[in-house]
Amino acid sequence: MDFLFSYIALAEVYVLLGLSTNLLVGIAGIFSVSQAAVFGVGAYIVAQLLMTETMGFVPAMLVASLVCIALNVLVTLPSLRVSGDYFVVTSFGIQLLATAVFINWTQGTGGANGLPGIPPPDLFGVMLETNAQLVMLTTVSVGLGCLAFWLIMRAPFGRLLRAIREDELAVAAVGKGVLQAKVSAAALAGAFAGSAGGLYATFLSFIDPVSFDLDASILLLTMVVVGGARTLAGSIIGPFLLLALPQVLTFIDIPTTIAASARQLIYGVLLIVFMLFRPQGLAGEKL
Amino acid sequence: MLALQLLVNGLVTGSALGLVAISFSLIYSTTKIFHVAHAGVYTMAGYVAWSLASRGMPDVVTLVVTVAACMAMGALIQHQLYARLERRRATPLVVLIASLGALAVMQNVIAAIYSPNILQFPVPWGSQMVVLGGVRLTWTQILTVLASLAAYGATVWFFHRTILGKQIRAVASNPFLAEITRLHPQRVYIIVVGIGSAIVALPGILVPLDLGLQPYSGITPLLTATIAMIAGGIGSITGSFVIAVGIAVLQNLSLLVIPGEWSIGITFFIFVIFMLFRPTGLFAAAR
Amino acid sequence: MFRSIRFGLVLAAACFLTLGSVTAETIRLGAILPLTGPGGLIGTQQQKGIQFALDHINAKGGVRGNKIEVVFEDNQAKPDQSILSFNKLVDLQSLPIIFTAYSGPSLAMAPLATRKKVLLVNAGAQADALAKASPYLINTLPTIGDEIAVLSRWLVKNGKKNAAILFENSAAGISGRDNYITHFKAAGGTIIAQEPTQFGQTDFRPALLKLAASKPEVMLVSITAAPQQMAQQYKQLDLTFAVAGTTFFQDPALIADPAAEGFLHTQLQSQSPPALAAEFKQKYNAEMEFFVRQYYNASNILFTALDKVLEEKKPITGENVRDAILKIKRFSGLVPVVFNSNTASVPFDLNVIRGGHDVLLEELKVQ
Repeated sequence: MDFLFSYIALAEVYVLLGLSTNLLVGIAGIFSVSQAAVFGVGAYIVAQLLMTETMGFVPAMLVASLVCIALNVLVTLPSLRVSGDYFVVTSFGIQLLATAVFINWTQGTGGANGLPGIPPPDLFGVMLETNAQLVMLTTVSVGLGCLAFWLIMRAPFGRLLRAIREDELAVAAVGKGVLQAKVSAAALAGAFAGSAGGLYATFLSFIDPVSFDLDASILLLTMVVVGGARTLAGSIIGPFLLLALPQVLTFIDIPTTIAASARQLIYGVLLIVFMLFRPQGLAGEKL
Repeated sequence: MLALQLLVNGLVTGSALGLVAISFSLIYSTTKIFHVAHAGVYTMAGYVAWSLASRGMPDVVTLVVTVAACMAMGALIQHQLYARLERRRATPLVVLIASLGALAVMQNVIAAIYSPNILQFPVPWGSQMVVLGGVRLTWTQILTVLASLAAYGATVWFFHRTILGKQIRAVASNPFLAEITRLHPQRVYIIVVGIGSAIVALPGILVPLDLGLQPYSGITPLLTATIAMIAGGIGSITGSFVIAVGIAVLQNLSLLVIPGEWSIGITFFIFVIFMLFRPTGLFAAAR
Repeated sequence: MFRSIRFGLVLAAACFLTLGSVTAETIRLGAILPLTGPGGLIGTQQQKGIQFALDHINAKGGVRGNKIEVVFEDNQAKPDQSILSFNKLVDLQSLPIIFTAYSGPSLAMAPLATRKKVLLVNAGAQADALAKASPYLINTLPTIGDEIAVLSRWLVKNGKKNAAILFENSAAGISGRDNYITHFKAAGGTIIAQEPTQFGQTDFRPALLKLAASKPEVMLVSITAAPQQMAQQYKQLDLTFAVAGTTFFQDPALIADPAAEGFLHTQLQSQSPPALAAEFKQKYNAEMEFFVRQYYNASNILFTALDKVLEEKKPITGENVRDAILKIKRFSGLVPVVFNSNTASVPFDLNVIRGGHDVLLEELKVQ
């Protein structure tokens, strides 16, 4: 049972990340491979705040979200000044820069050793220690996140974002603030990613730079692409499916020496196949 | 003394990087596709060469076969993947994701076949030392510089003096017009990706010859090369090459003043700042 | 009357035999190792070591008639994968004992092991934090601190007082670096420079050049990957200071390379008798390397402990097996170890690489 809980909890963390990536990439059209970096920042902040007993879980999450909002806005600013492909490289650069900081800034992040012994989250004075309790926390968080996402998409703001995606010039011509809309989308994406980071850190009780590197960003992208871009359903399906994949693979008798390469290979093939034949993913809209 | 040796080392790594930058720049400025899978072709070159060299093939044969294989792989990706996506009117984001998928596939097929361990080239003459004016170099390093300069020269000559080269530049600057004047952009794309892949095979062989062979180390040089391409001005072969050498020299010399672990981080940091203030590059060719 | 007594005796004997006999079951253990990814080379060696030990013990009929089986999980040396695998093995399969490797994953699983009272057996990772990470984590090899303390004292005593450190920016590499700084200074030496390299990066030239510029008498090395490339570049740059490292220098490619001539390193005492090594080579088509030996040894330690637990008619739980290991304390086997705490003391030597071979220079004593 615990195993099922840990799988669900982790998948839900990635759903939050999926929502974040979908907002940024799918809806606002800002190509970003640096979401894992923001995820990492959120995780490290909550971890440090809890470990140094500076504040409780909920305030720590708020702080992390605020920082990640600011970070995401800062990070997507270049995209608003330069177009498409330039930003792609900048995004890669930001991710690699973030990884360099995570590995080298030992005081802040514990460096390559990571941060072990992160205390469990506390909610209204109750420590959530068992997997069952943690799953309840992640489920509630994801529920809130999905609700927020759904409401946003229904609101005029959501329609504006969609319109920008379709034809940015037309929207600008009509006098709607394209820049503000994109920045707002980036800010929201940052909040989602930062919260996901905090949940991740307290759930695993150990974080290190490996979980927040370029491969992680690519995995996120894969989840969004396969699950479906720009939709709520897609953000949920993608993570659950892709996290189940390694477990499913263990039932097939692949020689263990190539199992991990095989898994990455499958991710790559999935990306190609989906882009060729179903770019909108399983439950998404056209990318 | 130390500075001189670091400078020379920087020139060596820089010239290899320069070829990666030129080849990537050619492909990007002509097809407008951010061909991340180029890093996969780069990696593949090393492994194909290693396989041949380990079986006792003469070095010249190894070189020719490897270059041909890379050319074929590049052309294949363009013809089977990008061209199809173009026919379906895929957005650049979709093409980029597909390219990421192709990269993941290539890297992991290589890792599955050859194992993720570092492999050594069985080439004894490569590591013999030469001392030039107080600076120590291996034959491989000298060869890297010479081959890179030669390839750079050949590329410039090809694109400015031959008819095919001029045709390609015509297509690059205006595909629509080129289509009308029967220059067959799609065919040109295949040729250009083929040529670019052939060029990148050279550093793909020479760098691992010097430093050892690994499946996953292609993306960092590619991204650094992309920075060089953008900073040098898209469409400028000389710009990409010169900036690439400059970046490598800077990274090496920076060790004199900053701790080593930050040298890559600093490069990306400077790039991000650069993007905010001068995104068109230093040597921007007329677009 | 005699008939009924005889009948009663037979019945009693039958009951006694059935109730008293141990029903032969398979004892299942777990192993979470990096079978793929950058740690794959080492992880597969560890797997083979366990497998080899299983072959032997099961050929003898198992531990008190119980066959042993190990369930392997691949974690790619990633902590989050490790946690998922840990939960899977413990919750889905109720495994009480799990082999682990690499510092990062082991540290990640340690709190869980404490919570669920699952015994984690580490025979490969050496970061200092492992010693105190969990009362349920048993390390069958000393943490890197001991080796480095002894190495430092030896170097300073032999006239190498100024040192530069080359370290890998990873959990293991940094632990080594921190230890070098502490112990080398404690031994009376001075650290005059340090340079990091990235895990998996093979261009050591800039770092070597920078360290060389500070003119050290010895370079202390704490890297886990590409030692051969490092040696070659050291030679190419015509550097002449001494080079010293730890057990990570026991890399066949490095030892065979002439560039590594004269390299010093501590080496945990671990040799395979030729017959055993030959048998391994025949079965697995590979040399019986360091990590193979480590996990072969750890498996046998575990089997001895299991035997004791069964002998005392206790159930096989993480707690009981751990207590057994600590009570037995001394294990002679491929690698003789002593458990004065969770972390084993293993004698180690100082070796030097000469003429393509790893040669014993001095046997060292841990203080």
